Amino acid sequence: MSKRFCVSLSCAKNDTDKATVAFVVANAAVASDKETMVFLSIEGVRLSQQGYAADIHEQGFAPLAELMGNFVKAGGKIFVCSPCFKKRGLDETRLVEGATVVGGAKLVEFLSEGSPCVSY
Amino acid sequence: MTPLDAAPGRAADLSPHAEWDAGHTGCGELVLLLRNRLAALAPGQRLRVVAHDPGAPEDLPAWCRLTGHRLLEAKPPHYLIERRSTP
Repeated sequence: MSKRFCVSLSCAKNDTDKATVAFVVANAAVASDKETMVFLSIEGVRLSQQGYAADIHEQGFAPLAELMGNFVKAGGKIFVCSPCFKKRGLDETRLVEGATVVGGAKLVEFLSEGSPCVSY
Repeated sequence: MTPLDAAPGRAADLSPHAEWDAGHTGCGELVLLLRNRLAALAPGQRLRVVAHDPGAPEDLPAWCRLTGHRLLEAKPPHYLIERRSTP
């Protein structure tokens, strides 16, 4: 059984339901002792910015900022797609805790060493 | 978490050391909170959980298999979990 788990998320405020569920599943993975990474790409990279998720709260779920904070506190990592990040003119000095801007090679390395991946 | 007094003497094997009412919390939130609750116990101690989420009857046994915590009883919504020996 793989010790790793990846959640790929390409949405932010354009689909707050997907963004929320992605982090709920990521929390299930990290709580299950998996080395867990959330890969933010496309619009999802906006979630890497401090304060962005503050007003996202889907009915029946914890607020997204809380889910993200709990994920990182439990040891989860957030990788942020570099070209997607640059395209949107986001700010590297305002990254949320646990987030790292990476290129595709970092994602490929994580997955190639053996990791299931679920995409939202 | 509510610490419980251990029953003195007999029939103490399945008595919980703590209880947690998870209410309707489910999925990743449930198991992440559960992980923290169990981490606060000593190895071998037992946590009584009440979980009303409809996914819990499948999720909690799966999570115990993944993590090595022992599911001693599962009578939804009631579960009894023994903390594993490793951190």
